[in-house]
Amino acid sequence: MTTPLLDVEDLRVRFHLRTGIVEAVRGVSFQLGRERLGIVGESGSGKSQTGRAILGLTPPPGEVTAKRLAFDGIDLLTASKRTLRTLRGGRISMVMQDPKYSLNPVMTIGEQIIEAYQAHAKASRNEARDKALAMLEAVKMRDPGRVFSLYPHEVSGGMGQRAMIAMMLVTDPDMLIADEPTSALDVTVSMEVLRILDELVTERGMGLIFISHDLKLVSSFCDRVLVMYAGRVVEELEAKNLREAQHPYTQGLMRCLPTLADDVRPLPTLNRDPSWAL
Amino acid sequence: MLDIQNLNVVYGTGRLRVDAVKNVSFHVEPGAAYGLVGESGSGKSTVLRAICGLAPISDGRVLVDGQAVTTPRGKAFYRTVQMVFQDPYASLHPRHTVDRTLSEPLAIHGEKDAEARILQALREVGLGPSFRFRYPHQLSGGQRQRIAIARALILRPKVLLLDEPTSALDASVQAEILNLLDDLRRRLGLTYILVSHDLAVVAHLCERLLVMRNGEAVEETLAESLRSGAASNGYTQALIQASQGFTRVASQPAQALAG
Repeated sequence: MTTPLLDVEDLRVRFHLRTGIVEAVRGVSFQLGRERLGIVGESGSGKSQTGRAILGLTPPPGEVTAKRLAFDGIDLLTASKRTLRTLRGGRISMVMQDPKYSLNPVMTIGEQIIEAYQAHAKASRNEARDKALAMLEAVKMRDPGRVFSLYPHEVSGGMGQRAMIAMMLVTDPDMLIADEPTSALDVTVSMEVLRILDELVTERGMGLIFISHDLKLVSSFCDRVLVMYAGRVVEELEAKNLREAQHPYTQGLMRCLPTLADDVRPLPTLNRDPSWAL
Repeated sequence: MLDIQNLNVVYGTGRLRVDAVKNVSFHVEPGAAYGLVGESGSGKSTVLRAICGLAPISDGRVLVDGQAVTTPRGKAFYRTVQMVFQDPYASLHPRHTVDRTLSEPLAIHGEKDAEARILQALREVGLGPSFRFRYPHQLSGGQRQRIAIARALILRPKVLLLDEPTSALDASVQAEILNLLDDLRRRLGLTYILVSHDLAVVAHLCERLLVMRNGEAVEETLAESLRSGAASNGYTQALIQASQGFTRVASQPAQALAG
């Protein structure tokens, strides 16, 4: 492997607020190949802001700086808006948390997938339509033709999330950022969505960044895990070695979950050491 | 303590009729913790809401302490039964201080000695007196849920209805709230009904539980048999499997679900 798909070095996201500067991400570095990388952390750890900064979606008044932020050799920080537009949704796409809020409520699902496809590929409407239907089938919709003409409010959460995955993968991206893709879904439905995501990512050899607060889920789904705390990566490890985590924060997070396997009472809680945030 | 007999909850009529809860019965002993588990739309929250009068009881009976509840519920009912909601960001009034939130139930029930009761309630949930005059936006998610628990406990109820009390919280905060609930139950001799989609949380807090699906009771089982994997029902097994995390070798829980 010569150049990694994504190369992030010393990424920082700052918010200049009236009350002072809040640094949400403080020097995050990692490289992504064609693999499944998980980013785990609690709320406020900066995991979502990391994902957004890569796509240039940091909301104002946020400011992003980095020593290096390159996708396949293209510097994302100095790239023109035009280049960014072709990358976003084309070669890099993002699946958001809640399909209820991230799908357009006044457009049918099929129209939305066609729009996403035609924004990046020169294709006739018929081609785009075929592609959209094929994509809906790839995400295991039982009746693609029917789902095609439905509006987002007419489908369930699991179907909405699958429709969003279809929309994001229709352009055959090289990299997918999934920000809590299953947190709004039921356990059994989310397993189904993950299985589809896993299949498509493996089949197409994409790079995947999977952002989640659920350590157990991430470790069972990804190859490699970054654990974030207070805007920093405190630990990076192979998902299968999660049990041997070194950092006290990761260990604490693992222990404080109740499990079906054993009955610990009271549950160990996390004593936050101020030095972790330094 | 609590007896639910053939409870039905129906919304709408004719073509729009939805049977949210179908013929559910269970019994909770005083001092016990009972869990309701299922996916969204299984009717588990509706059962709780029907008990405390937030959803209509279309058929069947709810008995508290051997007495059938009246509609609308009286003051005596709310002295016995209180509820904690899922989202602490939504369930506290944003423009009321903690003090005002906690003093309202006392005022409604004509309780005296509000000051001491509020300070005691704060102490019980592990918060100091310094939190008394804060607004909800000055509290973290875990602290808000503690205030919601304090508000429910301030009237000294015997039964606490918990509707997904930790699912809006981070894992480490969830552990703190679960410990608090466990501890309070032991100290105050409370009876809990806990609704959650997380089997591990229910198994941790409750002794017995009811698995629900599409408004119907699927299986009543013990937390012990969940742990040992002895649950007989296929749907319960599928839930257990899904809660263990993602498995790449597809064991096809979807089939079990369809069956």
